[in-house]
Amino acid sequence: MLLDFARLGPWRVVLIVIAVLVGAYLLLPILLIVALSFGSSQWLQFPPPGWTLRWYEELFDDPEWIASFLTSFQIAAVVTVLSVVIGLMASFGLTRGEFRGREVLRALFLTPMILPVVVLAVALYAFFLRLHLNGTFLGFVLAHLVIALPFSIIAISNALERFDRDIETAAIVCGASPLEAKIRVTLPGIRLGLISAAIFSFLASWDEVVIAIFMASPDLQTLPVRIYSTLRQDLSPVIAAVSTLLIALTAALMALAALFRKDARS
Amino acid sequence: MTVTDVPLANPSPATARRRGRGIVPVIPALAVVVLVFVIPVLALLLRSVLEPEPGLQNYAAFFGSTTYLKVLGNTFLVAGTVTLATVLLGFPVAWFLAIAPSFWSRLLFAIIILSMWTNLLARTYAWMVLLQRTGIINRTLMDLGLISEPLPLINNLAGVTIGMTYIMLPFMILPLHATIRAIDPAVFQAAALCGASRWQAFTRVMLPLAASGIAAGALMVFVMSLGYFITPALLGGTSNMMLAELIAQLVQSLLDWGLAGAAALVLLVVTLAIYLVQLRFFGFGQARS
Amino acid sequence: MTFLEISNISKTFGNVAAVNDVSLDIAQGEFVTFLGPSGSGKSTTLYMIAGFFEPSGGDVRLGGRSILAEPSNKRNIGMVFQRYTLFPHLSVAENVAFPLRVRRRSAAEIGRKVEEMLALVRLEGFADRMPAQLSGGQQQRVALARALAYDPPLLLMDEPLSALDKKLREEIQDEIRRIHRQTGVTILYVTHDQEEALSLSDRIALFNHGRIEQLGKGRELYEAPRTRFVADFVGHSNFLDCTITRSEGESADIVLPDGGMLSGISLHGAAVAGARAGLMIRPDRLRLSPLGQAAEPGIDAVLSDATFIGETYHFVLATGWGASVNVRMPASRVRPDEVTMGAHMQLHWEATDARLFCH
Repeated sequence: MLLDFARLGPWRVVLIVIAVLVGAYLLLPILLIVALSFGSSQWLQFPPPGWTLRWYEELFDDPEWIASFLTSFQIAAVVTVLSVVIGLMASFGLTRGEFRGREVLRALFLTPMILPVVVLAVALYAFFLRLHLNGTFLGFVLAHLVIALPFSIIAISNALERFDRDIETAAIVCGASPLEAKIRVTLPGIRLGLISAAIFSFLASWDEVVIAIFMASPDLQTLPVRIYSTLRQDLSPVIAAVSTLLIALTAALMALAALFRKDARS
Repeated sequence: MTVTDVPLANPSPATARRRGRGIVPVIPALAVVVLVFVIPVLALLLRSVLEPEPGLQNYAAFFGSTTYLKVLGNTFLVAGTVTLATVLLGFPVAWFLAIAPSFWSRLLFAIIILSMWTNLLARTYAWMVLLQRTGIINRTLMDLGLISEPLPLINNLAGVTIGMTYIMLPFMILPLHATIRAIDPAVFQAAALCGASRWQAFTRVMLPLAASGIAAGALMVFVMSLGYFITPALLGGTSNMMLAELIAQLVQSLLDWGLAGAAALVLLVVTLAIYLVQLRFFGFGQARS
Repeated sequence: MTFLEISNISKTFGNVAAVNDVSLDIAQGEFVTFLGPSGSGKSTTLYMIAGFFEPSGGDVRLGGRSILAEPSNKRNIGMVFQRYTLFPHLSVAENVAFPLRVRRRSAAEIGRKVEEMLALVRLEGFADRMPAQLSGGQQQRVALARALAYDPPLLLMDEPLSALDKKLREEIQDEIRRIHRQTGVTILYVTHDQEEALSLSDRIALFNHGRIEQLGKGRELYEAPRTRFVADFVGHSNFLDCTITRSEGESADIVLPDGGMLSGISLHGAAVAGARAGLMIRPDRLRLSPLGQAAEPGIDAVLSDATFIGETYHFVLATGWGASVNVRMPASRVRPDEVTMGAHMQLHWEATDARLFCH
């Protein structure tokens, strides 16, 4: 009755109205940004009086935007590789190891994800001051790695737990060495976990802003830092253009993930 | 599957069977977490009792100041309001997602995921534009003649609450959706046969069955809201700070590391306490999702 | 001639003995089944031969050479698992080729061997399919082809049919029998299903509590069980409580609870007069007659239930002291007018079909 949409009676109307309103609440701001990025009004009028690519031109003509974009990308790429490799190793230990304190370790690895980032940001800022790592590439990579690792460990551990270990055992009985069995059978078997670990790690670094605000130097700024500092001054439509590009990236990654899910199902 | 004598899933290869087996691959991750997380955070917390001199004066200052207590109050007020709003909006949406025709539920699902994955700054920017004095919302309301003066929607707690509800909604909807999906529809047929009206079936069957999901989602949203920094910093005003902003400002503008450490510890203690409650009652699975 | 020699192997987990001093010699080309309930140690023994567990004691020799020091991947043993364990990202042909690839065989040899193996399991047209596109039975046949691709001298099968439904099970059983005949490979097969064991094996080792309870051909286990456990596990049995009045060697006299006396019943295990025992008779070895018509040893009983199940009738009778006895008779030998609920009947049997097991 209550879980049968057709037989919900008058309640159905209530559900539909709230669902439509929430859907609009979640979607419209995103559509608004996209519209404003093509709108000709400097003052963000809506609906825009005309359409233009001016903000994109301004964006691509500004070497500082390009530099921060590249910085973010490089940091995120290095973080992704490290996070997947280290996360893969840790996941093997956590799901298959037979040592004491495994559950404590698992909880410790996930803590950076649940604690308020601002605490970590302030703590790392102080710590890196002494090590002279603030404003350096290495500093960004290390900080973002801590944020990305939990995502990687969750995704890969889940995949490893779901993977039937007898398949790896079968490969070993077939004559493969334990390492060869892992490379030729287990890794392909958990590839979806590896891919989502990579996507989440990349996004964790790419979108990270709080730590970056503290660590950034005028010479080395990630894209979110640059957006944040611009936003504190004014609501330039160039931000709408940047945001639209970021939304497009998100949508593309979502489509990619959906594609892999379909692939996994077939 | 039939039961075998010994589960082959954890065989111990004949070659290595010692205590501590399998700990080696964990070491790099452990090194990263200890060096870049545990030590810096502990060092910061230590400063709260060591600077400017050993003692609890930072905590006395924090809890003795009406300014700081007001920040704490703001933080709990906003987190509480956001939690309540996400429960009230999220429950019907999760319900809708669980039972609506698949096209509509998939569409709404895609919107939720897109919104959740969209860069936080981009979303906050949208709300800055929307909530401005001369923003779309105020202009529309004035054009409709509903208000004569622009509403103060930004640079105050109202703006923070609207923006944070927007950001937290997916974190409420997704776990709740899983909980509602797991309810067996047959219990409502049984309730109806027992003579329960729709309203009775809702209050006596559906709500109790969804309670664990609501509580888990609410705890998660509440705890995430407590420590939020970006959205309050951009949508809030200087006179109505939240705790995360206070910590940042103590470090950046006032260079008062001791007090910042104390405020950080307060935030950590509240956060961890709520997570422990969550772990205790709902297990780790909910906390992870 | 002994090919696989298992001598005195044991395995303890913590302080639990999963396998306790098991010894067994297997000849080349033989099909031996480890039968037993779950937890009896049959799979653990198999896993020690495969190299997944290190025995706590004892030795395993293959062709006269101990294999315990070698890791699983060097033992050159084939194995089929309970679940199909195909490599999900590889095609059928690549699954079968896998053991040859890790052995760095030439492409030509791999191609030839894969073709030969797929023909052996009758999946010629399926080389390019992915495992997910196959039925359970087909997947298990691919697993069989993969396990045999490198001509292992010994094939281990760990409840390979338990994930399949009944009809498929029988079909694959026929396949396994055929492949065993065709290849001559020595097979060690683990199952908890006695019919599977009886229909497939040359010999059966019946496991219980980590030991081999009895080893022999299926018919021996059925007709001459040496312990009450064997009698109970293989086939169906009636056990009637009784007391021994006299025993001499492998023969004893007994008294039933209603005072009826029977003499000269074959006895397993030592027993003294006065000991309590169980009188075992198979339901299909019992016959029913109207009262007073039989000369053989017999028990009076009342017919309490009769079920017609196609080829056979299944009767349940209650003895005077309240024990119930199952009887199976071919339907062709039952006259409809005999089947009257509450009728007093006499149960009787050939003296050689009854056995005594001491408690």
